[in-house]
Amino acid sequence: MSITDSTRARASTSDQATPSLSHRRRQRRRAPGEAVAGYLFLSPWLAGLLFLTIGPMVASLYLSFTDYDLLTAPRWVGFDNFAQLFSDPRWIASVGVTLTYVLFSVPGVLIVSLAVALALNKGFRLLSAYRAAYYLPSLLGSSVAIAILWRQVFGDQGAVNAVLDRIGIHMGSWIGSPDTALYTLIVLNIWTFGATMIIFLAGLRQIPTEYYQAAAVDGAGKIRQFRSITLPMLTPLIFFNILLTTVNAFQAFTPAYVISEGTGGPANSTLFYTLYLYEQGFTRLEMGYASAMAWVLVVALGIGTALLFASARYWVFYGDER
Amino acid sequence: MTRYIGRRRFLAGASITAAAVLVTAGCGGTSATGETGDGQDTHDGTGEVQGDIVFAWWGGGARNEVTNAVADLFEEANPDVSVSRESADWGDYWDRLNVQASGGNMPCVTQTQARQLNDFASRNLLLPLDPMVESGAIDVSTIPDDVLDSGRGPDGELYMVPYGAAYDALMVNQTLAEETGAGVPPDGYDWEYFFDWLAEAQDDLPDDVAAANVGGGRPNYLIAYVQAHGEEMFADGQIGFPRELLVDFWTEWEELRESGVTNTADQWAEEPSASEQSYVAQGAVMADVQPGNYLTPAQDTMDGQDTGQQLVTVPLPSGPAGSGNVLITSGFSIPASCDNVSTAAAFVDFWINDDEGAEVFSSSNGAVTNADHLQQQIDNPELPELKRHELEVYEQIVGMSPPVIIYPPGYQATFEAAFTRAYEEIAFGRKSIEQAVDDFFAEANAGLG
Repeated sequence: MSITDSTRARASTSDQATPSLSHRRRQRRRAPGEAVAGYLFLSPWLAGLLFLTIGPMVASLYLSFTDYDLLTAPRWVGFDNFAQLFSDPRWIASVGVTLTYVLFSVPGVLIVSLAVALALNKGFRLLSAYRAAYYLPSLLGSSVAIAILWRQVFGDQGAVNAVLDRIGIHMGSWIGSPDTALYTLIVLNIWTFGATMIIFLAGLRQIPTEYYQAAAVDGAGKIRQFRSITLPMLTPLIFFNILLTTVNAFQAFTPAYVISEGTGGPANSTLFYTLYLYEQGFTRLEMGYASAMAWVLVVALGIGTALLFASARYWVFYGDER
Repeated sequence: MTRYIGRRRFLAGASITAAAVLVTAGCGGTSATGETGDGQDTHDGTGEVQGDIVFAWWGGGARNEVTNAVADLFEEANPDVSVSRESADWGDYWDRLNVQASGGNMPCVTQTQARQLNDFASRNLLLPLDPMVESGAIDVSTIPDDVLDSGRGPDGELYMVPYGAAYDALMVNQTLAEETGAGVPPDGYDWEYFFDWLAEAQDDLPDDVAAANVGGGRPNYLIAYVQAHGEEMFADGQIGFPRELLVDFWTEWEELRESGVTNTADQWAEEPSASEQSYVAQGAVMADVQPGNYLTPAQDTMDGQDTGQQLVTVPLPSGPAGSGNVLITSGFSIPASCDNVSTAAAFVDFWINDDEGAEVFSSSNGAVTNADHLQQQIDNPELPELKRHELEVYEQIVGMSPPVIIYPPGYQATFEAAFTRAYEEIAFGRKSIEQAVDDFFAEANAGLG
């Protein structure tokens, strides 16, 4: 390349750069107007955040230190509501019920959804139909119709007992007995595994097939491939799913409300934390106490989530780590 | 090409998602600060009948239709008045009313019931109606005194004009009862007879039918039991009956349950709450306590099963102190926040006393409390037979001078809920009767008043 060519080339580069710079300058000049437009577009969300989320949360924090029955002005009681929680047998029962629910249903949802995602991560006919069918319960899980369905399945005269009767086992109502009622709700939660499954399925699609081919060449069997390739590559999504499933499980409300008709019965066996919170707030009009319960749940969930994040560095593998 | 999610991007995304989900947990139990009526307001209800009023009630489709029809009649009779209507089903109605009360905008004509009345009256949210009765703005002369008194608060003031009176009755599957030879309990039967009657019938009932639904957790039975034994349900805003009485009550029911005279505790626990779907309406038990005005819908359920069985209602058992039956009245209140009291009073007066309105409504929410209208309806040859029976049982109960119970604030939310739960603890073997009674007294007394 001659010097002239080289100079022309540089000039040409410079020519190309000039419009780019002036374009950026124009962008900066336009910035105030764009910022206004940006905030305008943001404003519905910002207004919602301020008035529908942050505002009520601050009010709720204040109310948690008061005795407030919705109909008369709040009265400041300091930490009384929080102190009362720990001597309230039903609050303790609700914590027990919720923890049991979380401990059983979170692993249940993860295992079932991963297993189904693995089964569906293969090319076969009617695949989309199967995926839709497995996702369907997620759409139905919190509906009132489920209360009727669950009665038909787990009631005294339900489908489960009809099958057990045939093999000579006679059980009472699974929903009506305090020993089994909570487990029917855990089964209901596991049954609505669709959303978690879809996330796993997306994750499985991201794993390069070359890894499996290479592993196969090295003589790794299916189980070894699952343990050494699939699981590590999926850990970010497992982490994400644990996080969401756990937070959702702590906040579970509708299934118990619908199936126990809001009582948390029989004998407090399905008294979820949020159900008890609702009862205190909207049935007994103990809004201060209910607010205190809500904040204890927020703090507990915050701590749990922080611990989960802290643990992630030890077991979650990200693709950009080498 | 495969793209990985970077650690930072992923953690940032997950944090935002988690935070968004978390904050929703903090939103429980918030609301606008409520205004309180000063409780000193009085109004004699006289004045111009004009302008707008809001009228709210609970009920389903059929009830809404007849309620609207009466409101239309009122508008026709008062062309300067417009009645805005709000209806909701039972549960939602009270949730909404609480929110309206907290915002100081309760409907001018608010339907209330004796069991919830004092939740509002005790907070000075309702106007005393005695001055309106005295001024003649609301004529209550046709309502029996015992019935009218059910609309009074603990301070003796009238806060609700009762227009419909429901009662709890023993609903009996007459067909099954006669097949067993036990028959329907006779007039004036008492609790001892009742328990023996159930046990006797059980021996001859089909295997899959219990003589009674588990009854220990039903406050309606308890109220009748307490009254029949001459005790008070409530005194000074606390439980008024001795704990031994409840021990006896639960012991009787536990003996029946353990000997298989009732169905099992888990069957009882899963019974649908709607009376039309109750076990007695489905023929799964021979007898159960039910609201007297559910005879018609329960028989409809029974007819739908094509068993040919017939249901009947009788008053609940009596005791040493006489009848245990009480009336549960629904009526109208006028809130202290109402800005058109004279029109609201005129509406209440119209509802209670208008002949055409009463005919249209036809005791849709308990037997009509206006004695003249009650007689007209009983005498009406076109009245369906089951409805006539319902009204006649009401007449029979009113004839026994039923006691008036003033339900303290928090009755439904604490007393009833704690009562059922305490009995569940016994029936599922988690507590002894003595322990459950003590816990129930402690919990209910803490929540009442």
